[in-house]
Amino acid sequence: MKTALKFALSALALFALSAQSLAQELRVTVWTGSEAHLKMLNSIAAGFIAKHPGVTVKFETVPVADYTQKLTFQVAGGNAPDIAWMMEDAAPAFENAGLLMDIGPTLKATQGYDFDDFTQPAMALWQKDGKVLGVPFSTSPFLIYYNKDMFDKAGLEDPNQLAAKGEWTMQKFQEVAKKLTEANPGKWGFEFKDGEGYASRMTHALLPPVRAYGGDLWANGQCGLDKPEAVAAIKQLHDMVFKDKSIVPPGEQGDYFSGNSAMTVNQISRASKMPEAGFKWGIAPLPSGPAGEAPVIGQAALTVFASGKNTELAAQLVAEMTSKENVAVMAQFFPPARKSVLESDAFVNSNKLIPPAQMKNVAAAIVNGRVHPSHEHVPQIFAAMAPRVDALWRADANVEEALKGVCAAIQPLL
Amino acid sequence: MAGTASRDNAARQPGAPWLTLKTREMLEAWLFVSPTFIGFLIFFLGPLVAIFYYSMTEWNLLSQQATFVGLRNFENALLENPDFWHVVRNSVIFALGLVPLNIALALSLALALSRPFFGVVFFRTVFFAPVVTSAIAWAIVWKFMLQGEGGAVNQMLAWIGIDGPNWLREPNWAMAAVIVTRVIKMVGLNMILYIAALQSIPRDYEEAATLEGASRWQVFRMITWPLLAPTTLVIMVLTTIGSFKVFDHIYQMTGGGPENGTLVLAFYIYQQGFKFFNVGYAAALALIMFAIVMALTLVQVMLRRRDME
Repeated sequence: MKTALKFALSALALFALSAQSLAQELRVTVWTGSEAHLKMLNSIAAGFIAKHPGVTVKFETVPVADYTQKLTFQVAGGNAPDIAWMMEDAAPAFENAGLLMDIGPTLKATQGYDFDDFTQPAMALWQKDGKVLGVPFSTSPFLIYYNKDMFDKAGLEDPNQLAAKGEWTMQKFQEVAKKLTEANPGKWGFEFKDGEGYASRMTHALLPPVRAYGGDLWANGQCGLDKPEAVAAIKQLHDMVFKDKSIVPPGEQGDYFSGNSAMTVNQISRASKMPEAGFKWGIAPLPSGPAGEAPVIGQAALTVFASGKNTELAAQLVAEMTSKENVAVMAQFFPPARKSVLESDAFVNSNKLIPPAQMKNVAAAIVNGRVHPSHEHVPQIFAAMAPRVDALWRADANVEEALKGVCAAIQPLL
Repeated sequence: MAGTASRDNAARQPGAPWLTLKTREMLEAWLFVSPTFIGFLIFFLGPLVAIFYYSMTEWNLLSQQATFVGLRNFENALLENPDFWHVVRNSVIFALGLVPLNIALALSLALALSRPFFGVVFFRTVFFAPVVTSAIAWAIVWKFMLQGEGGAVNQMLAWIGIDGPNWLREPNWAMAAVIVTRVIKMVGLNMILYIAALQSIPRDYEEAATLEGASRWQVFRMITWPLLAPTTLVIMVLTTIGSFKVFDHIYQMTGGGPENGTLVLAFYIYQQGFKFFNVGYAAALALIMFAIVMALTLVQVMLRRRDME
């Protein structure tokens, strides 16, 4: 009897020990709650688990609006995840605080990984002093979404037809938006990204035209918004809002996805909203300006927190998730940064909602695009900008003076 | 001596003979309150004490480094940062707009609805309903109604030939809009307090005054209003404190804009602490807000006391 008890106890202890050493859980925070996205992520994780018995992977959804904030609190509370999706504008703060692990050695040691396959512009934000602090899993260009029905009603050529003729310029964009507004009373020609162009997406509203004119929000520690290129671009937008009345003005709702605006700017992840929209639609490149085509990309990367218990294992999971095969799988939702995938037919045909010809616009924009300017103090910069940008979006504003005000407010932070 | 001992013995319980009844009762009481009290210590008193310490540090949430900086954060807010005084000014404007409007409206409604008449319960319910409505839902609905062109408010104004402004996009109008929508939301609570107070005033006073030939206004001015003074004080204190703490409305309707026109203290603290992660500075601001509200309350109490004497 005694022997049996001893045996049972030691078996139990052994089991407990082995369970502890085997059960390594990797926690990955993401901001998607989409069932389709999570299903895909879990199936990729399943491949990893098959190679690493005893490891479990848990994807934890944090709502996108508070994502960086909640992630920061997890870190501050000593409960950082092993792996996190990281938004481009949050990256510098996390990098400079030394929170992210250099996963370069693991990636480069992984067989068949081919690190150099990632495009240089896409990696720019995530490499620092020879360290690799993240791998972009979504490199998503800004595109024009248009309502084909509203273009037809106005008897206008759509942006893709104009682009094919090389006529899709900022001037044409203004002209077309005005005609669309006139032909569709009570609606607008254009809506800023997510209807948030005067608030949380104010830089997303300004950046594409400013780049098309050859300027930038800021670069090398210098505010660019009061430079002549930016002033010209924003004057044009201001005219469209207040003179032509072709852009949804501040304080109004003119949702593109409900058919209240003929065009908007967004990324391909929003294509999933289109089947319910109930109108014919398409995606086209951003209009070009005096500085030519200037695609803008938004980016998100997989990062590993240095404070985790299983950093090496986490780095291996990142390598798995961004392998050639899995990047191709993810491409149906998240545009890739791997040249081999971008150039493949598989990518062009990957999205059921978007015709191959239009997917080529996406691929071209990824290769040529530049990421939104980033900075360690982005939240402070945005907060300093916001009241000045409010002043810009008044009908009687002097655009040049207002932009000088914006730069005066943010220059000390840059 | 022996008598005391035997009484003590008599009070001892068989289950725990070493305890007197009094000690036992006290222990029981402590045990009963302990769950709440422990929660109070951990979740209320703890943070309250911690905030004094945090207010004297510069603490970066990301890098986890907290440096003791003494009164640096207070100096920064009170002497160096122009934003702070702008924000305090906004909070004061908000309170000055909200408190009198709220009290005047609450009192008027209470006077109209304190006497029974057919449908009085319906009207009381209508004016009280917004109080129990979710603040965020309330703010979202008003945000839509206050749109520049398509908004319901401006459409109604257009019927009578008024071209309404773009309410939430012009700094002064935005402040006015936030104040008025907040008053409509919260006035029901003060109305109920006033109704209760009015109903507790004996009718004899009023009748006596009327018999003496006092007009209705005189009755109100000389009898009702003075008798409502304690209630008015409570309402003023609570409404002022509430107006300094306003956050949800601002967060949803204006986000502190336009041009920082509605950036009030509570929202500014949130921004500093939870958007910029300046935890030390935010803690200092919170203490300053605490001091302001405390001072205002004391002043009101003193004024009232002088009035009543």
